[in-house]
Amino acid sequence: MRKIWPFMLVGAVLLLGIAGSALVLQRPDTNIVEIVQDGNVLHRLNLAETEDQIIEVEYDGRINTIEISDHRIHMLEAECPDKTCVGMGWLDSAAPIVCLPNHLVIQFSDSDALDAAAG
Amino acid sequence: MYLKTRKLTELALLTAVALIIFVVELQIPNPFPIPGVKLGLANIVTVYAVYHYRAGEVLLIVVVRILLGSFFSGSIMTMMYSMAGGLLCLIGMLLLKRLLSEKYIWVCSVIGAVLHNIGQIAVACFVAGRGMLLYLPFLLVSGCLAGAFTGVCAQLLIKRRLSRQTDRDKSGQ
Repeated sequence: MRKIWPFMLVGAVLLLGIAGSALVLQRPDTNIVEIVQDGNVLHRLNLAETEDQIIEVEYDGRINTIEISDHRIHMLEAECPDKTCVGMGWLDSAAPIVCLPNHLVIQFSDSDALDAAAG
Repeated sequence: MYLKTRKLTELALLTAVALIIFVVELQIPNPFPIPGVKLGLANIVTVYAVYHYRAGEVLLIVVVRILLGSFFSGSIMTMMYSMAGGLLCLIGMLLLKRLLSEKYIWVCSVIGAVLHNIGQIAVACFVAGRGMLLYLPFLLVSGCLAGAFTGVCAQLLIKRRLSRQTDRDKSGQ
């Protein structure tokens, strides 16, 4: 007899993944961006107001270069082996730009307040 | 642990095969800019071993493969991700094996791959914060596809091996 539950299990996981991806791919309703390293917020920026600039963040001697241009933010260069974060392009969804080897995350902020550690 | 020479040789061979597959896969460039997305071809060996060897023996294969694999890929951090993912995947597959016959080995492989990704994300959350959880949906999808692929590969291998054996039995007697 053919079992059905294994197929339903795999189907459920796949559907969950697709639905979740669709949610995550939407751009959040905020312009506040955080640059976080090891859980500490290094920079909090409002993309709507910032002028074009280059931010460098160091981790263990390796430098990540973050570029803000035309109110968008992306990883310009990274001194890490995989360069995954550079390949992620501009930040325009809830999914953050991550550089795992250098513990660096660029993400849209959960809270709207632009207070601490600005600039 | 006491191992018969024959068993030891078989396990060593499987580990070597898994390691070779792993190293070859490292050379394939990843087209997706998402950390953790990969085919995981070495999983073919794991899922095969889950159905043909005892739990402790499979654990040996997986742990040795991950240790040596991270030496070859040259990064110790990779080992943390692989170890968490690999062990979670192994536990899940060993449990599923009790519920599913070898005919459903691809289901086992899919769930194993998804669990592997969940383990990796858990470690990544420790390293880079909760934001990494947002990558889980992508990895669920990629885990399903990659797991199904490796599962079907394992199924083909087992089928071929079985038909060879029966051929040999027929011609031998």
